[in-house]
Amino acid sequence: MSSGSNRLAKRDTYRRLLWGSILAGVAGGLALRFFEYPLVGEGVYWLGIVGAFAVWRGTSITLFDERDTAIERRASQLALYASALVLVVGASLMRVLPRVSEYTVAPEVQGFLYGYVAVFATFAVAFLWVRYRS
Amino acid sequence: MKNDLRQRREVDGSSQADLAAAVDVTRQTINAIERDRYDPSIELAFKLASHFDCRIEDLFDPELNGTGAERDE
Repeated sequence: MSSGSNRLAKRDTYRRLLWGSILAGVAGGLALRFFEYPLVGEGVYWLGIVGAFAVWRGTSITLFDERDTAIERRASQLALYASALVLVVGASLMRVLPRVSEYTVAPEVQGFLYGYVAVFATFAVAFLWVRYRS
Repeated sequence: MKNDLRQRREVDGSSQADLAAAVDVTRQTINAIERDRYDPSIELAFKLASHFDCRIEDLFDPELNGTGAERDE
């Protein structure tokens, strides 16, 4: 195996380790909570997160390249567009429906929509910060 | 963006994995560039041009024919 192929094989291995660590932590945490071991579950969850962080920061190999970043940026943009649609329509329905019908908006739905508001508020802060720094 | 990365790589006798390792990206990125599905950054374009010992414009064709950029000349 050439050094180039070896390097790419290592990159694949580390990427699998990174995502595998997160998946194992989340799945293990959920399973242990289900079996009434919530604290051990929380420990396993954090073990997975810390393991992924250790793989990400601990290797000298570039795990994600510029195309990965471009894909992530595009996916984030699409997710924001979809969230904006849900928020714009949902917030309007939340205001109008109780006035024109017997429908009362459940607190869970309100909380859900305020969660979206928090996402956009965070985006606005991040946007201003990035613009200020560039 | 149109490019002749695949032809140059094949003349070199190197695989996508070899080229990817040489310019420090994933093999999938090289594959996407060769299939005109991803336009590399300036930095990566310079690395590729340097690897093949040519200029960026020899490697990539921005297909500006008939666009404003050409008409302005």
